[in-house]
Amino acid sequence: MEFIFNLTPLIPLFPLLAFAIIVLFTHRHNRLSSSIAIGGIALSTALGWTLVLATILSGEHAWAEGWQLRVPWLPAGTTVLELGFAVDGFTAAMLFMVPFVCLMIFIYSQGYMKLGQPDQDPRYARFFAYISLFAAGMLGLVVARDLVLLFISWEVMGLCSYLLIGFWSFRKADSEHHIDAAQVVRARQAALKAFITTRIGDVLLFSGIALLYSYTGTLTFRELFRPETLETLQAISLLGMPAVTVIALLVFGGAVGKSAQFPLHVWLPDAMEGPTPVSALIHAATMVAAGVYLVARTLPLFIAGFVVADAPALHWVAVIGAITALLGATVGLAQDDIKRVLAYSTISQLGYMMMGLGLGSLVAGIFHLLTHAFFKALLFLSAGSVIHGVEHGAHIAAHNGHGHGEHFSPNDMKIMGGLRHRMPRTFVAYLAGALALVGIVPFAGFWSKDEILAEAFHLWRADGTLNLPFWVWLAGTLGAFFTALYMGRQLGLVFWGEPRHAAARHAHESPSSMTVPLIVLALFALLFGFVNAPFLGNPLHHLMGNVHEVSEVVHAEAIPFNPTVAGISTVLAVAGLLLGWSLYRNYRAGQVEPFQAALGPVFTVLRNKYYIDDLYQWAIIRPAVWLANFCFNIDDRWIIDPFVDLVGAAGRAASDIARVLDSGVIDRWFVEGTAQLFNAAGRWLRYSETGHVQNYLLVVAVTILLLLGLYLYF
Amino acid sequence: MNFPFLTLITFIPLLGAVVVALMPGKHERALKLVAVLFSVPSLVLALIAWLLSAQAAGEMQLLEEAVWIPTLNAYYRVGVDGISLPLVFLTTLLTTLSLFYSAYTIKKRVKEFFALFLLLETGMIGVFVALDLILFYIFWEVGLVPMFLLIGIWGQPQDRPQYSAIKFFLYTLVGSVAMLLAFIAIYLTTGTWNILQIPSLKPLAGNPALAIAAFWAIFLAFAIKVPSWPFHTWLPDAHTAAPTAGSVVLAGVLLKLGGYGMIRILLPFFPDLFRQFAPWIGVLALISMIYGALVSMAQWDLKRLIAYSSVSHMGFFMLGLVAAAASLDVANPVLNSRAIALNGAVLQMFNHGIITGGLFFLVGVIYERTHTRDLKAFGGLSAKMPVYYGVMLMTALASLGLPGLAGFISEFMVFRGAFALIPTYAIIGIVAIVLGAAYILWKIIQHVFLGEFSEERWQKIFNPAHWHFSLDMARFEVITMAPLLFFMVLVGVYPAPVLNGINAATTALLAGL
Amino acid sequence: MAIPLPWWLTVAAALFAIGLYGVLSRRNAIGVLLGIELMLNAANINLVAFWRYITPQALTGQVFAIFVIGIAAAEAAAGLAIIISAYRRRRTVVVDELDTMRW
Repeated sequence: MEFIFNLTPLIPLFPLLAFAIIVLFTHRHNRLSSSIAIGGIALSTALGWTLVLATILSGEHAWAEGWQLRVPWLPAGTTVLELGFAVDGFTAAMLFMVPFVCLMIFIYSQGYMKLGQPDQDPRYARFFAYISLFAAGMLGLVVARDLVLLFISWEVMGLCSYLLIGFWSFRKADSEHHIDAAQVVRARQAALKAFITTRIGDVLLFSGIALLYSYTGTLTFRELFRPETLETLQAISLLGMPAVTVIALLVFGGAVGKSAQFPLHVWLPDAMEGPTPVSALIHAATMVAAGVYLVARTLPLFIAGFVVADAPALHWVAVIGAITALLGATVGLAQDDIKRVLAYSTISQLGYMMMGLGLGSLVAGIFHLLTHAFFKALLFLSAGSVIHGVEHGAHIAAHNGHGHGEHFSPNDMKIMGGLRHRMPRTFVAYLAGALALVGIVPFAGFWSKDEILAEAFHLWRADGTLNLPFWVWLAGTLGAFFTALYMGRQLGLVFWGEPRHAAARHAHESPSSMTVPLIVLALFALLFGFVNAPFLGNPLHHLMGNVHEVSEVVHAEAIPFNPTVAGISTVLAVAGLLLGWSLYRNYRAGQVEPFQAALGPVFTVLRNKYYIDDLYQWAIIRPAVWLANFCFNIDDRWIIDPFVDLVGAAGRAASDIARVLDSGVIDRWFVEGTAQLFNAAGRWLRYSETGHVQNYLLVVAVTILLLLGLYLYF
Repeated sequence: MNFPFLTLITFIPLLGAVVVALMPGKHERALKLVAVLFSVPSLVLALIAWLLSAQAAGEMQLLEEAVWIPTLNAYYRVGVDGISLPLVFLTTLLTTLSLFYSAYTIKKRVKEFFALFLLLETGMIGVFVALDLILFYIFWEVGLVPMFLLIGIWGQPQDRPQYSAIKFFLYTLVGSVAMLLAFIAIYLTTGTWNILQIPSLKPLAGNPALAIAAFWAIFLAFAIKVPSWPFHTWLPDAHTAAPTAGSVVLAGVLLKLGGYGMIRILLPFFPDLFRQFAPWIGVLALISMIYGALVSMAQWDLKRLIAYSSVSHMGFFMLGLVAAAASLDVANPVLNSRAIALNGAVLQMFNHGIITGGLFFLVGVIYERTHTRDLKAFGGLSAKMPVYYGVMLMTALASLGLPGLAGFISEFMVFRGAFALIPTYAIIGIVAIVLGAAYILWKIIQHVFLGEFSEERWQKIFNPAHWHFSLDMARFEVITMAPLLFFMVLVGVYPAPVLNGINAATTALLAGL
Repeated sequence: MAIPLPWWLTVAAALFAIGLYGVLSRRNAIGVLLGIELMLNAANINLVAFWRYITPQALTGQVFAIFVIGIAAAEAAAGLAIIISAYRRRRTVVVDELDTMRW
């Protein structure tokens, strides 16, 4: 068994090697490159699942304690910072999901990037290189034993996210019709926005890591969470709080950036400019969940020194999670872009996960992370299939002369309609994803969302007052209703009614390389919830519930199934779904939207995303650019350089004064006078200068003789 | 007598300079070949010395000593430890690469260029190995003249090379005069020029006012070279005007002379004063970091942008140094924080040399083709020059501190030390990291590589008749960048080999204070 | 001790005078150089003679003589080089015609 665990470092290494091979050698061969990428991730999946099995078979002790491997990495004074890999129950749970979802999306990407077709993406190989590197990052994060490796993987993912959002930010060949100039600009802006926004969070995380390392001298999870270490951290006071709380908030700051929580959520909807498999993989299933994973991993820091119900850091997590969940769900009601709706849905669902963690329940948050990864990847891939179909339809329409000629976006739900007949497999997959997201029994989302809400409900009832868990529960339940509402709207707009554009009229089903992964993922969306179903005894709880045992502050017991909670949310979900669907299933082009008619100005606010982007533009970006120019002017035009030049000019002026003095007085009388005297003398004496060496020598000889004579004479 | 590693490393380039100067100027190919070949032995010897000495680099290695000017009590005294070894290696590496690169790109007055460059190398290496103040000062000045000429003669005409060269020269000269006076004052009280011996003699201990004056005089010299705000304005002009190889060495090595001086001379000579003034120097460091980043963000000239980013990145170095110095009175700071901060500072110098040197080469790549560095003139180049895009992206990411590449390691250690020792400064300084990402991605990557490629705009700046190599990075450019990329990845992924020596030396240095 | 010191000095003085005469009177530059050599060797004879008769225990005189010989060699080389170079430019080695130092 130990032998298998020793292979852990290979899990991130396979995709990393695939990346290196593609970039260095095979990037000219498209099919070979994508095969290498898929091969790499397939090996990781195989090894990952073997490890999951090995962990499960190793028994409870292995689930909590885990296996680890370390390498000395950074010499620091008399100590050495180590970096390492570890596998415990939590890792195993993640290892089940991550490589498998990656594999599905890799396979799907072959079809989506149009392998072997005339309009195949010209940077096909590079795309597979990037997503392989991304997979290496995500897998590295999951098997990290410490914050060092975690942070490295974290940033590698950030880089890949940047590269892939901006994947269509330049055109290579004229054949890339689907990328227009506006798209190029949007893509590069979105990439930059994503990187800088998450970078703000990363810097907070970086500070947290630096502080942790400063105070404890270690960055290994298990060592950090020892009771004595946590006590040291509580004892130190920082900014009027225990240091551990400050650090926890800084770490949470990193998660807010990565997991697109309010107020750093603005980058995620824009990130949809990337290719759809990227949206599915990075911006729904894995990378954005890394923030949740980070908070879950470091949960003892959030609680240390308090009981769960009173931990301030944890309250922040819950509150931010609740705000984000509501914000995402409401904004999702008013978007037209099929992928943007899903992006806001992702933001909202990530808020749910944070809510779960904020209530102190590790398993509830992570369970939702896992189910969400499956069904949201499914939704995105299905959306990609829809877009693919509509684009294809546009080609056919143009070919048949039906093209309207005017510009349209294949992502716009307003032009779709009635696609359930034209793309039946995609429709089924989409429906499965939607039902899972909305939380209909027995789809996966039902079980995981229910667990979070039940947890909140339980904590509220246990206390009885209108405490934080009550508000969290309320936000979660309301959010569930809005979720159902926007999914109902989306289903109605896309799959029911009549096509509202020639492109949608000619759309047809995508190739099997795309639909097969959809079907597989749909099965998971249907069935995966049972891994933690209450009537099966909450198996996931047993696997990963005790990973924080070492800290003595996090105790995870499963909350019993609560019919009240499940009943309320199911009723709301069904109501929302039906309401949205019925309002939009007969929507006609040009008609005023039913929601707009009902909500009026509120709808405008939602459509403009609560004006948060505009606020940042005015409050942060413009001042920063202004300040940069201001500093440059100080440097170059106003103060420093003029001062330097002034000193130079003053030096020159002083020398000018001295020159006048020199030439007027000193030179005229002393220097030149003397010179004139000698000049006159020289005019006479120069006749002695014949230029003949021997004359000079003769003079020398005679002079010496004379001097000698004088000397001898006296 | 051991093998005279350091003498050979230092003076083989000088020999090369003489040989190149004596060769007939007509045979340019032979000249270039000879110049490059003369820079190689130093590189090889420096690498061997580094590998040999890394284990016990806590103390001075490879010492050589000889009486030099008895009447002045000056000795020829050289040696290296874990702090100077990486810098010596960096110097030899960047010089060899610069000469190699220049062999393809320098067209006018070839002989003079290569002779001066080799002379410059001797000067720079000499500063890193000298252990005698007179020797140190002489090498310090030896580097100045060739650089002055390199900027003035081979600079791009539109960048006011003469103005920049004179500005560079005067700035540095002001600093070095102040430094020389301070050195003499130190000599008069201690009776020796020996850099290793002076700290134990407590220079100027009896005369606090003079000690403070001497401290600031030496600080001025080094701060100008580093450069620290507000003594930095020579840097953008000089870097921008200099020919590519000149900018590389200027940013890669010359700035390190100042940093090295602070660690080797200022800190051990005046530890108490350094601690006392650390808050002020820390403020300068912070201003350099944030201000440099902001001004970078406002640039539209690619080279000037990178020049300002050097101000910002060398601010990180200063922050690490300040963190180590500010806590000197704390008997037992938390968990090696001082050593970590100083390690970070030294490694930041090495990394900055590798990364910014690389960035200047890469600016040269585009400049040689288009003769412009205006960010508004480019756009969409990643489709046209994919290899160039890849290499630039990697170097730029190393520069902004992406984990897995070199820049991150030193930034992490600097901030790790700073958070433990001077937390307020660290919190403010962290802003510079965000700004770093902004100017590098927004300005460099976006404006040069992403966006719509316009054939019309490209025709205006690129004339194929003037460029004889491939449009994407030519082989010699790739070869130039390859070693730098290697070190970026090596230090980023597995920093231990480079850091072991540095760590040993800084630990020993701090223990001696 | 057969030959007394003044004899040596006389020879040296005579040699010196001959050399000086040569330097001052020869028109060929090479002849001038030869004259200089004679003068140097006259000095050498003096140096060795004084050493032998006055300070035989110290080596100074001999060392000086060797120095002079060395310098003479260098001087001859440099002088000849200059003459050849002058010949190339001016096509003459007659010193009277080499008067570029004239005002």
